[in-house]
Amino acid sequence: MKTLRAFISLAATVLLVCVHAATAAPATARIPGDFGPPQGKPIKAVLTSPPHVPPAITRKYPAKVIVELEVVEKEMQISEGVSYLFWTFGGTVPGSFIRVRQGDTVEFHLKNHPSSKMPHNIDLHGVTGPGGGATSSFTAPGHESQFTFKALNEGIYVYHCATAPVGMHVANGMYGLILVEPPGGMAKVDHEFYVMQGDFYTVGKYREKGLQAFDMEKAIDERPTYVLFNGAEGALTGDKALTAKTNQKVRMFVGNGGPNLVSSFHVIGEIFDNVRYEGGSNVQHNVQTTLIPAGGAAVVEFRTEVPGSYVLVDHSIFRAFNKGALAILKVDGPENKAIYSGKELDAVYLGDRAQPNLSAVTTATAAAAKGNLTQQEQINAGKVLFTGTCSVCHQANGEGLAGVFPPLAKSDYLAGDVKRVIASVLHGLSGKVTVNGKEYNSVMPPMNQLNNDEVANILTYVYNTWGNPGGRVTSDEVKAVRAQPPVARRAEH
Amino acid sequence: MTLRSRSHWTRVVSRGLFSLCIGAAVPAVARAAGYVSIAAGEFASVLAGDTEVKPSSVPAFAMRTSPVTNREFLEFVKRNQGWARGRVSRVLADTQYLNHWRTPRELGDAALADQPVINVSWFAAQAFCEAEGAGGRLPSWLEWERVAAADTTHTDARPNPAWRAEILRWYSTATSVTLANTGGTANVYGIQDMHGLIWEWVDDFNALLVAADSRSQGDPDKLQFCGAGAISLKDRDNYAVLMRIALLSSLKAVDTTRNLGFRCVIPVSKGPK
Amino acid sequence: MKSTLHVSIGGASRVLTFVISLLIACVAPQVAIAAPAKSVAATTTSSDSIYSLEVPLTDQSGRAFTLDAMRGKPALITMFYSGCQFVCPRIVEALRKTETSLPANIRNRVPILMVSFDVKNDTPEVLRAMALERHLDDSIWTLARSDERNTRKLAALLNIQYRELSGGDFNHTSVLILLDADGRIVGRTSVIGKADPAFVKLVAKQMAATSP
Repeated sequence: MKTLRAFISLAATVLLVCVHAATAAPATARIPGDFGPPQGKPIKAVLTSPPHVPPAITRKYPAKVIVELEVVEKEMQISEGVSYLFWTFGGTVPGSFIRVRQGDTVEFHLKNHPSSKMPHNIDLHGVTGPGGGATSSFTAPGHESQFTFKALNEGIYVYHCATAPVGMHVANGMYGLILVEPPGGMAKVDHEFYVMQGDFYTVGKYREKGLQAFDMEKAIDERPTYVLFNGAEGALTGDKALTAKTNQKVRMFVGNGGPNLVSSFHVIGEIFDNVRYEGGSNVQHNVQTTLIPAGGAAVVEFRTEVPGSYVLVDHSIFRAFNKGALAILKVDGPENKAIYSGKELDAVYLGDRAQPNLSAVTTATAAAAKGNLTQQEQINAGKVLFTGTCSVCHQANGEGLAGVFPPLAKSDYLAGDVKRVIASVLHGLSGKVTVNGKEYNSVMPPMNQLNNDEVANILTYVYNTWGNPGGRVTSDEVKAVRAQPPVARRAEH
Repeated sequence: MTLRSRSHWTRVVSRGLFSLCIGAAVPAVARAAGYVSIAAGEFASVLAGDTEVKPSSVPAFAMRTSPVTNREFLEFVKRNQGWARGRVSRVLADTQYLNHWRTPRELGDAALADQPVINVSWFAAQAFCEAEGAGGRLPSWLEWERVAAADTTHTDARPNPAWRAEILRWYSTATSVTLANTGGTANVYGIQDMHGLIWEWVDDFNALLVAADSRSQGDPDKLQFCGAGAISLKDRDNYAVLMRIALLSSLKAVDTTRNLGFRCVIPVSKGPK
Repeated sequence: MKSTLHVSIGGASRVLTFVISLLIACVAPQVAIAAPAKSVAATTTSSDSIYSLEVPLTDQSGRAFTLDAMRGKPALITMFYSGCQFVCPRIVEALRKTETSLPANIRNRVPILMVSFDVKNDTPEVLRAMALERHLDDSIWTLARSDERNTRKLAALLNIQYRELSGGDFNHTSVLILLDADGRIVGRTSVIGKADPAFVKLVAKQMAATSP
């Protein structure tokens, strides 16, 4: 009897405990993406500067992740010789890359550096909550805010500052990406890169030297001065180009901070094997160009088969060649003629846009500023600029194209009035023109993107090459011709 | 006499009388900067307020010609030891209060005498202004905005893009290591340094009630702001002013920042002296 | 504005030797202005205590007192105005329910101070009428007012925002603040219309810490 009673009370206890445990069970997965309370010790998130991505997450449980992100207002180069006061997350444009796992509890610390003039906050598109965190993170200069959220949705998300005027904060570079990995992690690849496009609006023209200010009118009219990957012309070219080897799997997290433009993202010479378009869960295959909305992102993956320089562009193509939306992925390795036999891509396509060595131009600019510019410096700079801009038509050897583009070598046109030559460069030339006894009838567009220094240097180079008369053209001479209105020219003979 | 010259003389006389009052009322040791009187007038604030369409009426007041300098604030601290760094309560000034001075009672090389004083809290600024006497206080937002709208020739230069460009130029430059001294070009009222030097405290900075997430402007949260919702700004295009409001609304009274100083106003006395 | 419960723990109190500093105040020509609030430092005031600021107040019975009269017991403090139709009644409700949610031995015993933004209209008589209308026990509920300058200062101290509108109404934030016996802010809640359980717990804790 005693044993039976003991057994019954034991069974009852066990039953009670089970029932209690069942009813008091923590709310796991009641909300999709909520995998329960954080486990283990809090983890300090590893944040990286672009184009690097933090390492993949290997843990298999939700944790508390502490993210500390600092806002710094910083003057940096936006183009050669052109600087801009960027407002940044983590000192870079785009801001630091944040990587967490779905279900993580993220304790977010936003710090605003004491030297900041402006208050800032952050809206993370991956946050479910008012303003994406913006309401809870409004931070005055020299202060810090903290808020906590649970990353319920996996995916790649944009974050940006949402302080009024929002467009200006975004236009000044306040955006970045946060990746919320699925619980099972992502497929392994050889390289992961972080690329983010943005449009920039300056009071000065494209490549106008000096410190440039933000131009609200242009921003409202959606007329950007620069469209760039990772916040600067040349941020991902030359020795800063992305690198990989052949037969590797590459994954790019590509964001578009905007503020205005949608990106038609394309890698010249590659086809995307997989695209998580809009950064969502669906995957598209065999994609040439993918749309990335302003304030959106995508994940693209492809294999590298053939060595070469692969150019990342916004395929609204004038942005690539006239506003700077151009980046390079350099792939090294053995040729694979079966896949691609032809010559290197960069000779024809890029001109000087990817030219790593603009130092001759910098030297000339610096000397011109000091007032001691020499003819040789002009020639050196002019040669670099000629290669990018003029050689496309007039050819690198100045021979032109028979019947189409006049030669510059030993040209009698050049031996004539120098003002006429300058005007041709500035205002263009169309209609019949005879050079060295041959007739040409084509259209030379006005070279609006060149400033006075650049025109002077190019012409000085041309005058001193291929048997031309020599001498130099000064910036002031170009300025004088520019000031005169272009006369409707009928080409002289 | 034409109406115009009558008001002109009234201004001259009242300015004279006012200066006399100020001179008599405040001990000579209190301050070095001058005050200029600003006549009463109407002003269309950028804050829409509560669906006000008509411009607000701003009574007359006298304003300091330039922000309070390190030297002036040091004198104040010496006379009011309770406001020295390290002695002032943490609810009245935060840990960065006057941290650019070498010691609590000495400026040192990082704080030049004629630079505007920075790293001061709203309470400290108010205490200084009250010590000026004659009801001295921080300017209200409306008083500040009215004087700031002027350039060298017009009392309301806001339609002029050059006025806005001047302000935006300051936003587009990094905070330099050396802060300039006070005493820049005066505007038409005779007031200097309203733009381009530092942010400035206002008396009712905590009346700006701008929602922290500025995209929700015009989305009234009744529970948070008791009925009328967060302030909506009348002229969104005047974002130069908007950014100043954003900065002020991000602050608590106890906060100090490296780019924030102040100046004082003295309301014009209503009754006979 | 944080709408979540914000807990700030007062720092270690320091021993200070203050000299009471007198401002050189001239005779203000305006009428009906109280002396500007001075930063008085008494030896027993913790540097985090809001009693560092002397704020002159008048309650619903016309009695004049200063803010630090609340010292010695924990207190609940908030700001309001009597003409407020929508939100302020809910502030009162929240305070009432907070009191009644406390354990029996401290129920309805925490002093409450409500200070009005409406300097023009909320005279002691108006405040008295409101207290009667809402059955607010005088022994616990103090409805008070000050002058414009000190009201602005108190709001700044409590991190409450307010703005007068042209119709006489006020735009303002709503928050209940818990002070400890020395006047340090140890709790805040924006929950109105009912009691915030986490906030009630804090109040109970403070009362337990100071009971004899």
